[in-house]
Amino acid sequence: MLRNYRRETFVAMILITPFVAIYGLIFIYPTIDMFMLSFQKAPLIGDGKWVGIDNYTRLGSDRKFDTAIWNTAYFVALSVVPGTFVALFISLGIYRLSGRVQAFVLALFFLPYILPVSVVYRIWDWTLNFQFGIAMHLFDWIGFDRIPIFKVTGWFMPAVALVTIWWTAGFSILLFLAGLRAIPAEIYEASALDNASRWQTFRKITWPLLWPVTALVLTIQLISQLKIFDQVYLFSTGGRPNDNLVMVYYIFQRAFVNNHGGRAAAIAMVLFIIVIVVSVLNFQLMRFVEKKQ
Amino acid sequence: MNAQYAGKINFIGGIITLITICAAVLWAFPIYWGIISSLKPEDEVVRPFIELWPDTLTFQHYWFALTQTQIGRWYVNSIGTAVGVTFLTVTTSMFAGYAISQLTFPFRRTLYWIILASFMVPTQVLIINHFVLIANLGLLNSWAGIILPQLIHPVIIIIYKQFFDQVPKDFREAAVMDNAGEFRILFKVYMPLNWGVTTAVSIVTFIWSWNAFLWPFLAVTKTELMTITVGITQVNDAFGVYYARQLSAAVLAGFPVALAYLLFQRKVTEAITLSAGIKG
Amino acid sequence: MTGISLKNVSKSYGAVKVIDNLSLEINDGELIVFLGPSGSGKSTLLRMIAGLETIDDGSLFIGGEQSHHLAPGQRNVAMVFQNYALYPHMTVRENMEFGLKNIKLSNDEINQRVLNAARILEMDALLDRRPSQLSGGQRQRVAIGRAIVKKPAAFLFDEPLSNLDAALRVRTRVELSQLHQTVKSTMIYVTHDQTEAMTLGERIVILNECRIEQIGTPMEIYTTPRTRFVAGFIGSPSMNIFPVELTKTKNKLEAKLPDGNKISIAHDTLASGEYDLGIRPEAVSITSEGADCQGIVRVVERLGDRTLVYVELTDRSQIIAQDLGTSTIVVGDRVHLAFDSRRIHLFNKNGINALLS
Repeated sequence: MLRNYRRETFVAMILITPFVAIYGLIFIYPTIDMFMLSFQKAPLIGDGKWVGIDNYTRLGSDRKFDTAIWNTAYFVALSVVPGTFVALFISLGIYRLSGRVQAFVLALFFLPYILPVSVVYRIWDWTLNFQFGIAMHLFDWIGFDRIPIFKVTGWFMPAVALVTIWWTAGFSILLFLAGLRAIPAEIYEASALDNASRWQTFRKITWPLLWPVTALVLTIQLISQLKIFDQVYLFSTGGRPNDNLVMVYYIFQRAFVNNHGGRAAAIAMVLFIIVIVVSVLNFQLMRFVEKKQ
Repeated sequence: MNAQYAGKINFIGGIITLITICAAVLWAFPIYWGIISSLKPEDEVVRPFIELWPDTLTFQHYWFALTQTQIGRWYVNSIGTAVGVTFLTVTTSMFAGYAISQLTFPFRRTLYWIILASFMVPTQVLIINHFVLIANLGLLNSWAGIILPQLIHPVIIIIYKQFFDQVPKDFREAAVMDNAGEFRILFKVYMPLNWGVTTAVSIVTFIWSWNAFLWPFLAVTKTELMTITVGITQVNDAFGVYYARQLSAAVLAGFPVALAYLLFQRKVTEAITLSAGIKG
Repeated sequence: MTGISLKNVSKSYGAVKVIDNLSLEINDGELIVFLGPSGSGKSTLLRMIAGLETIDDGSLFIGGEQSHHLAPGQRNVAMVFQNYALYPHMTVRENMEFGLKNIKLSNDEINQRVLNAARILEMDALLDRRPSQLSGGQRQRVAIGRAIVKKPAAFLFDEPLSNLDAALRVRTRVELSQLHQTVKSTMIYVTHDQTEAMTLGERIVILNECRIEQIGTPMEIYTTPRTRFVAGFIGSPSMNIFPVELTKTKNKLEAKLPDGNKISIAHDTLASGEYDLGIRPEAVSITSEGADCQGIVRVVERLGDRTLVYVELTDRSQIIAQDLGTSTIVVGDRVHLAFDSRRIHLFNKNGINALLS
């Protein structure tokens, strides 16, 4: 096409300027700033002095850092894989339905995802409330002593993982449904003619064909949960935050509670790197598993 | 996996369907329970036995929340900031997405790769520097301060770029032969052809912004400027330890986005599937 | 000088020179067809005239004005796209108005042109509909209407009939011809279909592998093809072409057919050697005496007004002959064939028609 390159560049510059300006201001600049800050001993706001990799080396002996890493890993283990499979099985169930029933059921499963985290918090704080929560009756029926779930360290993470799965499953379900719908009906018809049982159909047909979506869901969940903050923070109110630290919570604490800007930035950088490394490893792992299929 | 073939009585299928429906009801139960509890008077709420329907149905807590607290202001803040985020994100992304998709200019590829690379950066790690930046700009406790860092949504520009890429070249050529300048081509051809995308993306961005917690929480310390999502967790003195009251505030906070979803179900699911596809 | 003129134009895609030093004069007001198979460059040439492809070398004149550096919208040409490219979110009227609004004509002028075009194309009732509510044929008319309102120096049609079904194609062909009479503008029409070319074109430009093979009126191209490609491309069923050996004996030229038979050629200035002999089926008749060759009938196609007879010669090659519609020939018959010596073509090894020089 006969193009006037000068004119195009001019128009393009006008079109991209708002985006680039905002991006530069709130993304590029803060990222660089954070990098620089991590090498300084500085408060949250204000100048600091250069201390090289001091902030990083401190982390080696930082007990809270260890807790944060451990809790984050623990939380990821509790929520990513189970959450994915819960979503998968729910999708399989929804997929079989049709019409208004399907729309209704899907809406019920999906609704939590739409809610803000604070509303989710209120709902579950109430449901699992030690004194009056309806879930406490479950304990009664099983014969356990009631437990103030969010105040007991051993129960805290699993409970938050449960709530998180409840909250985010809708997203994964959508993806799984899209993936299931992409499998042509003829394949199932062929397997029916081949006398495959339900389980065989799932294992040999549905699961392999769905694997790309499953991998995607696992990846998205993994990256998301590494960055978790909101639920942990909220459910820790009135409880034991220091036992429940996850990475972003620790960053928050260092920066906004202890006013250690430089140290917080270093932790943030570490998290940043962890996310990248995990992404890359995950990518390779998925590719590897795909080849094996 | 619908095995409704001739001659087969679908017993197991029926059971699975039943289980699915029951699971759905159970799944949504906490929401139901929260709403129901907010409609009971405080003394009923704390009764030791389970009452699935209120003995006395009352709206007193809602009344209280709406008249005696700052929820009204919080609503305004939420709406204002959500609209701001949505408008700015969608327009800047659409313009830039169009430029990357259709125009040739220096550093085009570089820009695209930087945007792709930014997917890797978790925005949570930037909270420190966002705070410093916004504080230095004097924008803490203001709508601008709440809005600005929320404008990072690289997925939207990628979505627009992909959709603009898919518009058949014929339209562009016809418009060029029709003597349309670049801006006219964007506003009169490409944008109208993608209204569906714009609507879906706008709704989803609005919901994201409404639900945002971490940043609005950090950016605002004065209660009258809080968004409703943050407000209901921060201000306890107005509510005290009144469970039903707190739940009613939560319902008020979640209601608009739930309504938006129920009204625009298809658009919302479309947009979410889109953005996930991009991430993959 | 009016009309459209391409002088020594070349175009390259990267290192590959696609069009090399091509020149072409199109007369004002004529309906000329660019005909050729896929990849022959016909669409590229059209788009170069439109401005949708660059002209890397050479010059283009439209209506006497140098145009190869002008933007597409400025060249005073209008294009009817193969897939119509109607803006789906605009009504028919808005589709037609779009280009006129962009050059800021007055509303009155715009309205007048739109109504005029709608009248010519009999689309008055469709003006407020959207493209999705129209049939294929109607959409095509809107695409043409969009071109008419621009009052261009030339109309460029890019395979306009290819998206229509067979019956509609024939009807629309006739309508396009009538349109040309009404509007009286230069029209450049690109197609791969020789029937369209032969019926519509006042002149045809045959392109093959981005080179012009021949330019001429339909009859010129049919009866005196300049190259072997043109000879084989035009005509349905295609011309019989087979290799022969030309020898001079005394003052006569004789061509030896693959099956050994010899026919005399009424031309004495050719050098002897290997040639391709071309003869159309209607010039090969079934005869009882004076035969040039003989063979066995393998396939008979009865078309009503004529019968095509596929004959296998003694050397296993096939020749298509034509007989009366009422022919009683059946498969398996032994027949004798006579060639009309006035309608024999000889192509040298470079593909050029030797008898035309």
